[in-house]
Amino acid sequence: MEILQIKDLSFTYPNTDSPAADGINMTVNQGEFILVCGASGCGKTTLLRLIKKELSPAGNLKGEILYNLDAKGFKETASAFDVGFVFQNPDSQIVTDSVWHELAFGLENMGIPSDTVRRRVGEMASYFGINEWYHSKTDSLSGGQKQILNLASVMVMDPKILILDEPTSQLDPITASEFIKTVYSLNREFGITVIIAEHRLEELFPLADRVAVMDGGNLIFYGSPEKACGALKDNPIFEGFPSAVKIFEGTKDLTELPEGYQCPLTVRDCKKYLNANFSHLSGKEVKVISPEPANPVIEAENLYFRYDKNLPDILRSMSISVCENEIMGILGGNGAGKTTALNVIAGAEMPYRGHVKIYGKKIKDFKNNSLYRNMLAYLPQDPQCIFVKNKVSEDFEAALAALNGKNQNIGSEIERISEELGISHLQNMHPYDLSGGELQKCAVAKLMLTDPKIMLLDEPTKGLDAVSKNKLISLLRKLRSKGMTFLIVTHDIEFAAGICDRCAMFFDGGIISQSAPNEFFSSNRFYTTSSHRACRDIFPNAILTDEVIGLCRGNV
Amino acid sequence: MKAKQIISYAILLLLVPAAIVLGFLIFGSGGFIYSILAVSVLVCAAFFLSFEKSSHKSGVILILAVMVALSVASRFIPYVNPMSALIIITAMYFGAQAGFITGAMSALVSNFFFSQGPWTPFQMFAWGTIGFIAGLLCKPLKKSKILLALFGAFSGIVFSLFMDVLTVLWQDGYFNASRYLAVLYTALPFTALYAVTNTVFLLLLSRPIGNKLDRIKTKYGL
Amino acid sequence: MSAYSKLHPLTCLVGYLCILIPAMFIKNPVIQLTSLLGSVLFLSVICDRKTIGSDLGFYIPLFVLMAVTNPLFSHNGATPLFFMNGNPVTLEAVIYGIFMSVMITSVLLWCKCYGIIINSDKIVYLFGKSLPKLSLLLSAALKFIPELKRRFRLTSSAQKTLGQYSTESYTDRIKRMCGVFSSVIGWSLENAVEKNNSMKARGYGMPGRSNYSIFKMTAADKTISVLYIACLSLTLAGAFTGKLYFSYYPTVSGIPDSPLALASYFSYFVCAMIPIIVESEEAIRWKYYRSKI
Repeated sequence: MEILQIKDLSFTYPNTDSPAADGINMTVNQGEFILVCGASGCGKTTLLRLIKKELSPAGNLKGEILYNLDAKGFKETASAFDVGFVFQNPDSQIVTDSVWHELAFGLENMGIPSDTVRRRVGEMASYFGINEWYHSKTDSLSGGQKQILNLASVMVMDPKILILDEPTSQLDPITASEFIKTVYSLNREFGITVIIAEHRLEELFPLADRVAVMDGGNLIFYGSPEKACGALKDNPIFEGFPSAVKIFEGTKDLTELPEGYQCPLTVRDCKKYLNANFSHLSGKEVKVISPEPANPVIEAENLYFRYDKNLPDILRSMSISVCENEIMGILGGNGAGKTTALNVIAGAEMPYRGHVKIYGKKIKDFKNNSLYRNMLAYLPQDPQCIFVKNKVSEDFEAALAALNGKNQNIGSEIERISEELGISHLQNMHPYDLSGGELQKCAVAKLMLTDPKIMLLDEPTKGLDAVSKNKLISLLRKLRSKGMTFLIVTHDIEFAAGICDRCAMFFDGGIISQSAPNEFFSSNRFYTTSSHRACRDIFPNAILTDEVIGLCRGNV
Repeated sequence: MKAKQIISYAILLLLVPAAIVLGFLIFGSGGFIYSILAVSVLVCAAFFLSFEKSSHKSGVILILAVMVALSVASRFIPYVNPMSALIIITAMYFGAQAGFITGAMSALVSNFFFSQGPWTPFQMFAWGTIGFIAGLLCKPLKKSKILLALFGAFSGIVFSLFMDVLTVLWQDGYFNASRYLAVLYTALPFTALYAVTNTVFLLLLSRPIGNKLDRIKTKYGL
Repeated sequence: MSAYSKLHPLTCLVGYLCILIPAMFIKNPVIQLTSLLGSVLFLSVICDRKTIGSDLGFYIPLFVLMAVTNPLFSHNGATPLFFMNGNPVTLEAVIYGIFMSVMITSVLLWCKCYGIIINSDKIVYLFGKSLPKLSLLLSAALKFIPELKRRFRLTSSAQKTLGQYSTESYTDRIKRMCGVFSSVIGWSLENAVEKNNSMKARGYGMPGRSNYSIFKMTAADKTISVLYIACLSLTLAGAFTGKLYFSYYPTVSGIPDSPLALASYFSYFVCAMIPIIVESEEAIRWKYYRSKI
């Protein structure tokens, strides 16, 4: 049974020429799990908001969206309670200060009497495992708990359609996959129609019944995930597809597969495919060129840090050394203290024991900000923090003026860097009107104005789509080729495997292991890339899809 | 502004001093504090009810909540207190009623973190009134920096004087002039600092925060 | 969590008013001393030792200061004890000073106690009954405060590592603070718009909104409320008939002891003791059940 019908939908924002959604036709069946994907700015958020009437943006709308929520025929309207919507940022959609109140908020809006509210809230809290923190303040929750609360406070209204707009982009991988499992079980166990937009396709692809791919406001593909793989091989969106798909598409011409062989979507199926077709290449290895030892530019020895006298140590005897012109990655679980470690190395926090040396000089010997001028720059997790003015260009000018005094070539310097990072067209924008990827590039540009030798980055891939991620990788490589050194804290295993020269594992207040990525990830069984998990039986040290494809093709 | 609104504000502005004077005449200085208390509570109640009746969009309520939270958080800054400045700025951009609500709620919420006491209703009334008057004067205040500075200093001084009157009334049960002078004298440096910081914060913050409030208002059509 | 704070918010509010109205309005030494006794006992039950210690360090000097300064400012009274700078220091002013400080200290202590008991959840509930918009504003503001603090910390640390402003210069530090402040406001306002979307998405603004709370009015709540109101009525009856009148100036009168006055004292005593009775009742009941296991 069809539950939602979209006919010739076009939408144009005010003051823009090109439509954000252009001639979209799609139908959604009752109980389907639909994955909407596409690069940032492809129009998927616009589409989702148009489906949710209360969030429809202002602009010029053509075409129809019809709902068939009670199996009695299509209607143009749906009540706020029949279509649930979960947003990207876990924090910003919580309205009240108590968990119980947040859960009850939607039901209060429905005008439901207290006794019924109590029962339904209780039921939801039990299902989602919220009863432990039912009386907590919403602020004391972790990011994952907040997002579960958001999901629960939508589900409590018993919606027929659940829409999620990049719900896991701000979560770490483990929390994210738990969240996706919860959504999936809502779909399977209760038959709720789910429409989810995500960049994180690795896990969602195998779960989806149908995939809707958008590009420039057009729906360029709408069908089963297996078919999507072949159909979109040449589209940039393919970069974000699961490793299994990429390996299959990169190697299937070498094999003689039976007619109608389905593209593998999961690590399990990919492993089966590789073992069946490439076992004759077993034991081949990627040649790893170990970098020549260079002189260390960041040296930290036996750092101890805690936020307060009565709180436990976050850093316990942490030591790390980063060599010149190297990209070093620190990986580790959530809340382990990676960000704190970066704060200490950046000199934003002081360790109570041990010290950090930058280019052989202790941090405390850098007087009057000289550490942050032509030396070290730090990109925090939320790039908004970098901007304090109303325009990107104003922030750039203020930064340069503060560094160089009233220098006449401020304009040309900004121009040069903006050109280099491709953000010249964003100069007159308000920082909050930029997309995540754009904001991040501008933040990097602002840091580059200080002409740093070392850059520290905290979770730079948070909220980025695959295309932006690749652009970030090439940007960082380019900057490294000019002599810069990077220290990156990240959850993103695939990203770290793709860019780092060395990776370090942060655990229990210190670095427990570090080595070059191929060695690092191939010696891990669980904490490793999905490509490696798929190919480890045949290619013991390949960690990237390109490496696997290369080994299969015999050209590494 | 609608005529009805003007009339109700005019009545309010006349009625409040009248009620306080009447309280003084009837109860003498002994019962004075209770008539001020009654007036404070009634004025707050009147504004709360009119806020409930108003047709504010939920977006405005949330923005006022942000401003309340901000002025509460600003009370934690040691030595200086930008709270009045923030209330005045909010009132300048969202009007007299919203100004009163921001002031009164800031007083109430901040006392959760400091300490609730008999002073809470008076503070709600006093800060609310500052916001209310700033809202009425929003046009001239937006135009003239001098007026804004004067208003900041003036509201700071009047606020302190008012709270000192209450201290004396409450401690002695009647208006003891010599104690009032002593209180004024000991509080003088604080009053002066308060008036000065109030002015400085208003001048420093009114433009940047005002731009941000304007941006939000136009971008989201509030 | 104390037993008293588990009572319904309305009961807590009734209790608060019943204890505070006589304490603030009736200038009778028995009433004042009862109020002080009740507040000290209540505070000692609901606070831990450390807080009580630091509170005593604040309230005792305040008490002494207020008691001592009154005779210096007030020269009423018929019995001069001695002269200071040509002004009489009278016995009545000393006594009045002591009783005023008893009153002020007890009111402050009650406010402190009820500040702990009537937490923000209860306030939001009390507002929500009749003022739903304001209650939403209150709840949202309480949610925003920790968010603001966190953003302030993040932005401040990010701005520090940008090195635009020197840490040595005082004006640079103020400039940085203002920049951070203004950026945090911008961030929070954007965030408020997202919250608004989330509210709209959950149907906020539809007619006929109901009000849910986790609080339930139990039989105990009702009994205690009725008891409070009954006691307050009796106390006020004594006050309004003038049976509790006590004069400090020009000479200190005797403590009223008519039957109605005694009844008023007793009923106010009950009011002041209800919190402590509720607390100890639970403790005793718990011990009793434990002993049976």
